[in-house]
Amino acid sequence: MKQSITLDYTLPEGCLQPHFEALRRGEALASKCGACGHVAFPARVLCADCGSDALGWVTLPGTARVSCRTGGAEKGVALVRFDGADAMSTVALKNPEIAGETGKLSVPENSEAGLWLLLDTVTAKGDGNV
Amino acid sequence: MLNDVKIAGGAMTPFNRRKDGSSFRDWSRTAVSGALKDASLEPRDIDMLVVASESDFFTLQLNPAALLADECGLFGVAAQRAEGGGASGHVAFHAGVAALAGGMAKRVLVLGVEPSASHLKGADVGALYALSFDAWTDGMTGVDATSLYALSAQMFMQRTGAKHADFAQIAVRNRQNAGLNPYAHLPLDVSIDDVVSSTLVAAPYHRLDCSPLSDGAAALILARAKDLPQNGQTRASVKGLGNSTDRVRLGERSDPGYFAGKREASRRAFSMAGVEVTDIGLAEVYDSYSGAQLQALEALGLVEDVVAAERSGMFAADGAMPVNLSGGLLGQGAPVGATGVAQVIAAALQLEGRYWGLRPAKAARFALVDTHGGIATLNTVSILEAP
Repeated sequence: MKQSITLDYTLPEGCLQPHFEALRRGEALASKCGACGHVAFPARVLCADCGSDALGWVTLPGTARVSCRTGGAEKGVALVRFDGADAMSTVALKNPEIAGETGKLSVPENSEAGLWLLLDTVTAKGDGNV
Repeated sequence: MLNDVKIAGGAMTPFNRRKDGSSFRDWSRTAVSGALKDASLEPRDIDMLVVASESDFFTLQLNPAALLADECGLFGVAAQRAEGGGASGHVAFHAGVAALAGGMAKRVLVLGVEPSASHLKGADVGALYALSFDAWTDGMTGVDATSLYALSAQMFMQRTGAKHADFAQIAVRNRQNAGLNPYAHLPLDVSIDDVVSSTLVAAPYHRLDCSPLSDGAAALILARAKDLPQNGQTRASVKGLGNSTDRVRLGERSDPGYFAGKREASRRAFSMAGVEVTDIGLAEVYDSYSGAQLQALEALGLVEDVVAAERSGMFAADGAMPVNLSGGLLGQGAPVGATGVAQVIAAALQLEGRYWGLRPAKAARFALVDTHGGIATLNTVSILEAP
């Protein structure tokens, strides 16, 4: 038998709504622990380090350095460390054809969830980004 | 300490991509009837059913435990469904043992089933599997399982010096191990060159480094010895169980290449079993990807230097610690809910000396079974003892 279901979800983002709203503006809003100072990006509802729920918000510059990456020219995924964050993040690469080691948070297309990174284009000297 | 919980019998269907028109309900009946026959029991002897199925999206059947109790002739039993991503089958096994140990049942049937291959297109299954991680930060971005495993493997390689050739050797060996397993999905005779030249999916992983999507079912029966024919004298015992989670987000782990949750699950299982690592004579390990087998063996604490051990042949059938003689997920296949149940069956039958596939060169007294969901996010370890 054949069966097809189209499911159209609405997912409330709860306590993390400010984080996801910022992502949709291309801004890196991280959570910062009021107890130990740990900065989490993506944001968390509990501190990843000490478990405290005394969290506030801090805006990061959105720049990141790639630790490792995989995928091909059409699709890329990377582990990166955002400047100001205390742990790494998994990002989808917006321009995986670029071999850059740094990038900046990018606005997701079509209001998709998650983190998207636009890799910097390395100049001929290899010491600058455009 | 667990006392006297026996694996009374077990059976499985072939793991493959079904093209014969049979359904997951048919496979379930086949596995259940086989397990009952193997245990010399009747349906009326069973008073509890635990069903493992990862997702209703595969079966398109909510409340599967009640349905399958009905379809398998287990009328009126207590029934529940257990789920833990890729570890669902093993989680169900733990739930069954817990029910016995807690006095909630006398004979528990654990049934794992999943139509992972034939019900949906591969891309749709991949999209569902991606939700096994933090769906809001990973799965919905299109970050898929293979990519996350690949990133973790890269970090493991950086730290340990493992090469893709080490991974490819596992992809080859597990497929060869599956050659004697009549239920295996991919009993292939492939070479390292075949693995390396297969399509690159996400570096370092090529297509042959990845376990397949499979259909199938597996069932086993748990009971105390006094509640079994001949007191279950010829059946393996459950000695230790351990379960532990790790951070769901790969980037939040202190070392994304190390399966820390698995290490803790292993420690708990060994602690409950009261045995040492050196007592383990064989293992069935969760090899969703070739490199993940090495990462698992490292975290389970079975060896000091896992890369050196791999290169020494330690994990081959004639090695000191045979691993995945069933073929593992890479060779035997991976119908998710059934995977962990089949792993336990393989280990138990090896200990009982009646396994249908490749046997170790030296009989083992203790075996370890390892399964996980996510990327070693929910880890489940069991230690079994020979009769």
